[in-house]
Amino acid sequence: MKLISYSLLAAGMLITAGCSREPKRVNEVVAIPAAAIPSAPGDSVWDRAPEHAAKLLLQDLVEPRLMEPSTTEVRVRAVRTPSQIAFRLDWNDATLDEMAKPGMFVDGCAIQLPKANNGQAPDPQMGQQGQTVEITFWRADWQAAVNGRAPTKIQDFYPNATIDHYPSEAKSLEPGSAKQKEMERLYSPARALGNLRSGPRESAVEEMIAEGPGTLSRAAASNNSKGNGTRTKTGWQVVISRAAPQGLAPRQRSQIAFAVWEGSHKEVGARKMRTGWIPLLLEESPK
Amino acid sequence: MARVFNWQLGREMSYWYPESRPKRQFAAVFDINKCIACQTCTLACKTTWTSGKGQEYMLWNNVESKPYGCYPLAWDLKLMEMLDGQNWEGRRYDGRTLFESAPAGERVNGWRPESQDYAYPNVGEDDCTGQVDKGASLMTPHMNWFFYLARICNHCTYPACLSSCARGSIYKRPEDGIVLVDQQRCRGYQDCVKGCPYKKIFFNPMTGTSEKCIACYPKVEQGVQPQCFENCIGKIRLGGWISRPEQARADNPIDYLVHIRKIALPLFPQFGLEPNVYYIPPINVPPAYLTQMFGPGVEQAVAAYKSAATDKDLAGLLCLFGSTERIVTRWSRQGDIVTGTEENGSVVMRVPLNEPVHVRPAYDRLYQIARVNCP
Ligand code: SF4
Ligand code: SF4
Repeated sequence: MKLISYSLLAAGMLITAGCSREPKRVNEVVAIPAAAIPSAPGDSVWDRAPEHAAKLLLQDLVEPRLMEPSTTEVRVRAVRTPSQIAFRLDWNDATLDEMAKPGMFVDGCAIQLPKANNGQAPDPQMGQQGQTVEITFWRADWQAAVNGRAPTKIQDFYPNATIDHYPSEAKSLEPGSAKQKEMERLYSPARALGNLRSGPRESAVEEMIAEGPGTLSRAAASNNSKGNGTRTKTGWQVVISRAAPQGLAPRQRSQIAFAVWEGSHKEVGARKMRTGWIPLLLEESPK
Repeated sequence: MARVFNWQLGREMSYWYPESRPKRQFAAVFDINKCIACQTCTLACKTTWTSGKGQEYMLWNNVESKPYGCYPLAWDLKLMEMLDGQNWEGRRYDGRTLFESAPAGERVNGWRPESQDYAYPNVGEDDCTGQVDKGASLMTPHMNWFFYLARICNHCTYPACLSSCARGSIYKRPEDGIVLVDQQRCRGYQDCVKGCPYKKIFFNPMTGTSEKCIACYPKVEQGVQPQCFENCIGKIRLGGWISRPEQARADNPIDYLVHIRKIALPLFPQFGLEPNVYYIPPINVPPAYLTQMFGPGVEQAVAAYKSAATDKDLAGLLCLFGSTERIVTRWSRQGDIVTGTEENGSVVMRVPLNEPVHVRPAYDRLYQIARVNCP
């Protein structure tokens, strides 16, 4: 008897999950209040959030431009607490691209918000001089690294390669010793200079700021951005969270913009699908 | 796009940024006729700069056997197909450069190599020589000839790598014209790899940034030639400084060879980058092929080079190649002695036009032993 009721219960749960209510569609991004910021794309709190289907446009304003469209829309849901805000981006992508190699690029997405919420929206294309935008950028290869994938090695792109000697792994250097680590650093110039792009990666996202195309740089102060993406049957579901927009009270609106990169379509940098500004509403907690 | 002057094309052309020449420009002359493809240069560079993880496949210096060799695969053939009608009207280039033929949305007309394209440096490149007793193993539509083309980054006056980078992560040093990637700023978009027609900038998949030949700038700053120059077994390389044509000085070795005697020519000048490595063309190769590769000055260059046998100045300057690791900024000839001077005026080498010849008999009677010629 007990067994039967358990299985009935399980079946009931499956049905609820399977037929999870169609989300409410909204024509702006609406962040609903929640007790805590969900980090997983599958968290049930997302089922309560209305969905905005943002149409993606070609980045065809500055060179290098993207000339042929790829991803057409990104579906966005948002939740917030008094201090944090999170977005779940959901888009279709038939190919998994999670390793950058010569001529090969990775899947990615980004959110962009104005730094200041003073009613003056900066240029939606990466902001403008004096009007900074804040960007949180998620990439599939960083996610793979955070999920525990071993560091890229030469055999990942030349399977039959053999290497007789790396100076940073010379026999005279004790593995893991300070001297060996220093040699590793010296033989990895970008990492030695602290280029975040070069790892080691502890997060699947990077916090950036920009004041116009070509000015993307590392944010001086963290806004506590986090990211977590999973592969779905049809593409990607990525949660990006960060500090709530500065100076924005409940029921007020700011703007948000999104970008999606499709690695197999050689999208990287300015070659991307993007949106213009979309209104972002902070919904008030029910009284 | 700005309008800039490219003396190698004999005309103005379009470039992404306005003309801004460095205070002085690092340049080199490679004498193709002397290269033996020993690859010492390649290894000198490899062991100095690219022995880290992610750099395994990179050859900042490579030597390929022309016409069939290439690294990456078909780099030059692809560009020949992409650039239509590469016509010269005398010394003026009438066709379009890679900047002028950039497709909509692009800064440069380029192509993107993938891992596979780098996988076969020097594999089977010399097959056209075949085994003499059995005949050539590869039949070609023309008579068999080939030559070795040693290549490094050209530290171009109008670098396509630099203009392809929308982030401005690549810069040309005002003090010496050396082109470098800012490893802190690069985000690995690989647009430079696509844009550089010579394919002398590479993506490091482990650091996620692009890396390139740095002309051994720490050596150049000390007045010393780069590793691939200093170690060249064939003594084919001479590094130094090139002036603009109207400011050419006869006592500057590079100016003398490039501007005054015009025996050294740029590689694919029609691309429009004003590359700063100049080649003395091989004298055994049909001029039509060489003209496509080095522009319209080929026949004159080959004739001038051949005249070195009776031209003491030219012969004397050619003796400078590989005779010192220092960068010679001035040279002169007194009788049969050629002198090289470096920047601070000190003489760094003196070489005779003709080395004294010693003939050693094959059989040494004193020690009663036959000598062989191996070291
Ligand atoms: S070291 Fe000199 S001779 Fe040997 S392959 Fe290189 S350029 Fe040619
Ligand atoms: S050869 Fe290529 S990498 Fe070197 S400066 Fe010219 S465009 Fe840049």
